[in-house]
Amino acid sequence: MKTTKLASVVAILAALVFTGMASAQTDPGVRSNTGVNAGQPLASVTASPNDLAFFQTGLAQFNEHQTVTGDNPGLGPRFNMDSCGACHSQPAPGGTSPASTIFPNVGPNPQSQVIANGIVNGGANTIPYFVFANGPVREARFPFFFDQFGNPNPNAPNGGVEDLFTVSGRTDAGSCSLQQPSFNIARVTNNIIFRIPTPVFGTGLMANIDDATLLANHAAQANNRLGVSGAFNHNGNDGTISRFGWKAQNKSLMIFAGEAYNVEMGISNELFTQDRPLPGEDQLGSGLPPSCLNLAGIGYPEDITHSDGTTASTVTSDVGLFNTFMQFLDQPTPSTTSPGGATSITNGRRLFSAIGCALCHTPSLTTQASKLTLGLGNATANLFSDIEIHHMGAGLADNVSQGGAGGDQFRTAPLWGLGQRIFFLHDGRTANLLGAIEAHQSNGSEATQVEENFDLLSPSQQQDLLNFLRSL
Amino acid sequence: MSRPVFSYWRLRGLNMHPKFSRSLALVCFAISLTAHAQSSLQSGGDFSNNPQPNALPSDVILVKGAWSSASDSVTPVPEGGRVANNVFSNQYFGLTYALSPNWKEKYSGPPPSDSGYYVLAQIRPAETPKGTTRGSILIAAQDLFFTLTPAGNALELINYNKESLDAEYKVEQPPTLVRVANHSFVRFDYGSPVAELHWHVLATQIRCHMVQFVLTSRDTKLVESLIQEMSKMTLPAEAGPISGRGGGEVPVCIKDYARDENVLERVDPVFGERRFNPTPVRIIIGKEGKVKHIHFLSAFPDQVKAITDALFQWRFRPYLRDGKPVEVETGIMFGRVPRPAVFPASQAVNE
Repeated sequence: MKTTKLASVVAILAALVFTGMASAQTDPGVRSNTGVNAGQPLASVTASPNDLAFFQTGLAQFNEHQTVTGDNPGLGPRFNMDSCGACHSQPAPGGTSPASTIFPNVGPNPQSQVIANGIVNGGANTIPYFVFANGPVREARFPFFFDQFGNPNPNAPNGGVEDLFTVSGRTDAGSCSLQQPSFNIARVTNNIIFRIPTPVFGTGLMANIDDATLLANHAAQANNRLGVSGAFNHNGNDGTISRFGWKAQNKSLMIFAGEAYNVEMGISNELFTQDRPLPGEDQLGSGLPPSCLNLAGIGYPEDITHSDGTTASTVTSDVGLFNTFMQFLDQPTPSTTSPGGATSITNGRRLFSAIGCALCHTPSLTTQASKLTLGLGNATANLFSDIEIHHMGAGLADNVSQGGAGGDQFRTAPLWGLGQRIFFLHDGRTANLLGAIEAHQSNGSEATQVEENFDLLSPSQQQDLLNFLRSL
Repeated sequence: MSRPVFSYWRLRGLNMHPKFSRSLALVCFAISLTAHAQSSLQSGGDFSNNPQPNALPSDVILVKGAWSSASDSVTPVPEGGRVANNVFSNQYFGLTYALSPNWKEKYSGPPPSDSGYYVLAQIRPAETPKGTTRGSILIAAQDLFFTLTPAGNALELINYNKESLDAEYKVEQPPTLVRVANHSFVRFDYGSPVAELHWHVLATQIRCHMVQFVLTSRDTKLVESLIQEMSKMTLPAEAGPISGRGGGEVPVCIKDYARDENVLERVDPVFGERRFNPTPVRIIIGKEGKVKHIHFLSAFPDQVKAITDALFQWRFRPYLRDGKPVEVETGIMFGRVPRPAVFPASQAVNE
């Protein structure tokens, strides 16, 4: 009798506890029951055999693994990875950091496997402390140069990419011998920041939004009574609005591709024509040693337009193919029902606007006419970004300036495809949407008031909003 | 890898042939030099071998883009307000506002924007379990010289807010003139049915800025009690939704005073680098017509220097009020002029 009574009490208590837990808001996690909803070409590209061939060649090149010499030459002498698609792969090529245990189980962080896979010589390289098999793909930067005493010098801004690996010790690298940057010292001196791969789905649409549209949207958001007031980054050559990269520092996808090919993989190309030293190697005048130059033996730049090609895609350089691939990538397809159901998602979308998220994460913008393909012209880009740079406060500041963006300013990250992303914010510091939302408030952030509004919502309202975000 | 260094002098104590001991000492010295060279690679740039390096501070913005600054640190500026002893005070606006008990400023706001928008303070309850925050108060200002909305005063700006309100919101009280702390404000309330949140805006105008208090909560009774507590606020005599144009102890604020007919001597800034950001600047012109104070709302350091060097050489026609010269505060936009918003039709305000 006493046992029965106790069991009933326990059951009641358990019901109360677990009911409370069920109603607490949680990030539903990567949407896995709708298939992979990104990585496809625009419908107008699919409908055009020539454009589709171009896209597919670009995709193949995007996934290709480069070597120092041979058929795919030019890797290094310093690099972060040997393939674009290795890092940009979640949930499909063109995406962001993958994971092996999260849908669609692309694989572990490829940077953690470089020694095991023979991409990097383990005798000459170590895996940096911030690279984990289940962590985001990362590039690293030192906000400041070290001085001659090995202390970070706040009067000497750096901010350039410090490549993780070298080709030293590879059989195709000759006598090139390079040292990895001082990541451990940078860690203990608070002189290191990270960037994760930014997804490139829909970037053709982003590229085709006219400046006038962005400026009109900016003006319409003025006097918002929520503390938000962004600005634009500009291309230094012609003053037009730049839009690609975490700080909107790059003007076009072509420049974006060329810079990434050179900086992240060490492959010189027709936009960035030299092998790239580390920022300090460059600015202290030492440069790369001669033994590490022209390792492919083919001269510079290593990636060129092919005058002996016979089709559009065989003539085009790798960078040109990357540009075409990104231009032709369609925006991700959101779900109307998952997670949480249609009512919750609809409610969440309304809440997203009501509390002010949509001020910066503008739900949609219209593109101008396109000569590239019909699908890019007069289209609705559901990017959830105003493509402005905003002050995000001391909590998110990385102390790296790029163009007109200061150390605490970041481009509003487009949220399309967020439902199938694993890591959030510029450095992938969290895989939980709630953590990403909370990080929006800190000293000096424009988003503090909007985050306060999120906190004012009830748990079920917050869950609706999370469900909406994961439906994107 | 370090190796032990053998002292030549210690070797002398050993019972060795002198020539052998000298040779051994030289070999050891050479080995120690090699080891030292291998272990102490040069620091600098991307590398450091310092075993005890100095660390940079965390969570501090050390690298800034375009930011606010002023030609001196004495003259008050709009962003110079602060919360101390539970009172928000802003010397530029002549405003003090005692916070409700247990309400505080947790996070400071961003720098002023290039369209003249300021977050002066963000107030919230001090001890609040996550998810049960009761409300928040945003104290903000909009420089009417640089607003993207072509409004001439705070009243017009609030009317614009009402006319451009998104369909998700419902007007709960249209713009209405009210008295708070013995001063005239315009009050505008709206809410979001889906979020069950209410926004209550109280705006006035001081020194050609709209100064607004935005109270947000699910609890309208809480908001009303907060508004009641605002009766203890102190404001300058000029404050009002269509007045607020300085004068008295502060300069008279006049939009576009730096027109050709008022500028007697002008020197253009010499910019070393071409930039494309709007650079709004407020200046105070002394009674004799010389610039005495420059406030940059948003500018890069090189822009600040070039514009400062130029502006201090400008000379204006003195502004007379009742036949006597007075100080003037005005605004000048350098760089790219931002694109204005489309201004909807305004409606009368309720009293």
